[in-house]
Amino acid sequence: MTETFEEMLGELREIVRKLEDGDGSLEESIAMYERGALLVKQCEDLLTDAEIKLTKLGCEP
Amino acid sequence: MQGSSGSPVPFGTRIYGVSEVSGLICDLLDDTRLQGIWVRGEVTNYKNHVSGHRYFSLSEQGGRNPALINCIMWRTSASNLKFTPEDGMAVLARGSVEVYEPHGRYRLIVREMRQEGGPGERHLMVERWKRELEAEGLFDPGRRRPLPAFPCRVGVVTSPTGAAIEDILSVISRRYPAAEVILSPTAVQGDGAHNEIAEALRRVDGLVDVIIVGRGGGSFEDLFAFNHPDVVRAVAACTTPVISAVGHEVDTALCDFAADLRAPTPSAAAERAVPDRLELLRDLAGQRDRMETLLIRRLDAAGREVEDLRARMHPRRLTRRINERMQRLAEHEELLRRAALSRVQRERSALAEVRARLEGKDPLAILERGYCIVESEGSIVRSAGDLSPGDRVVLRMKDGRCRAVVEEVDHDRDV
Repeated sequence: MTETFEEMLGELREIVRKLEDGDGSLEESIAMYERGALLVKQCEDLLTDAEIKLTKLGCEP
Repeated sequence: MQGSSGSPVPFGTRIYGVSEVSGLICDLLDDTRLQGIWVRGEVTNYKNHVSGHRYFSLSEQGGRNPALINCIMWRTSASNLKFTPEDGMAVLARGSVEVYEPHGRYRLIVREMRQEGGPGERHLMVERWKRELEAEGLFDPGRRRPLPAFPCRVGVVTSPTGAAIEDILSVISRRYPAAEVILSPTAVQGDGAHNEIAEALRRVDGLVDVIIVGRGGGSFEDLFAFNHPDVVRAVAACTTPVISAVGHEVDTALCDFAADLRAPTPSAAAERAVPDRLELLRDLAGQRDRMETLLIRRLDAAGREVEDLRARMHPRRLTRRINERMQRLAEHEELLRRAALSRVQRERSALAEVRARLEGKDPLAILERGYCIVESEGSIVRSAGDLSPGDRVVLRMKDGRCRAVVEEVDHDRDV
């Protein structure tokens, strides 16, 4: 997944804002909803499936 | 009966006067080994007498032979003291042992006293550093930067074996395991720790989104390296925002003042560094619900529009407006089919309900009744104005399509 959580959440919020504005055609609204639902799923997966990763820097850079 | 005096003193035995014995002791102690010497010890029973003379003891505890010497520092000597002695302070005292015959005691007459690398001296040093660093503007609140909301990488500058890293890992794996923790290991106390901490900060700076620097609680001495100007300047120089967490609630170190955020403990620092996934999941669920509500509202409106069209399609008007109406219906049909598809994917019961309702009004059914949809170049033709004689069109019917060429176009002005 190349997008960061922050980018996905930002896009999701933008989609919800556009849906609230009610601009665009029904077709666009549905497309936005589909994209939004995918983003929610990806964000949820990222949060629930992630396992913490620890990296230790070597003393010599 | 014998008296309690016991046996008589044998004849010829020398009887000493008290002053004679005292004089002998004075002679014994009048030894250059006890004159002008430096003594290391811990101050106890310290009293600053109204006269200005200081009465106290120097003790050495904890060893195999606990020992104590009573001391006096006359006010003329005491006036040169560079610090205020306190019980428990480690000092170096210079003086001579003398006997005070009227009380039959020997004492160390202290001429000079220095605090030996003790907390007092170090506290003063920290105060001085604080003034210097403050004057350099390193503690200016205006320098503080906001922390990133969703860090991908969290840098931790602490001991690889301390409790701090364990606490931080435990908090982050509970709250936001999507983050990667990058440990930049360092000693956190002892000689040279300040150099190591500063170096560890420089090593991790720029590689991460936020840095936590610190250690768990300890004595003033244990936390001392975090007061060092090298560490404070290294914190201030970081391009990445820094959270400082040195010691526990009450402890502070100078590097706290230079950081973008001061946390009371390493665990608290970790909580400030990353968001809480439970809150995020709640927020995501809220966003999804909001989107569904908005979409359902939109679909309902579209459904009502289709219904409205159908109601208005009186046979007498069909001959005039059929094309436009059909085109609009076909367009809605397309959208609703997609909406139904998206709802199937979501498998949400609320949406499934709407789907059932909308499918009951399938605009495709209208084709069954003998109407057709006109398409040109892949899109639906909504208006006669969009067509010119000679245009090629496709007529979509219930069971197939046919291609046609427009012969003539008449506009209805009254529509």
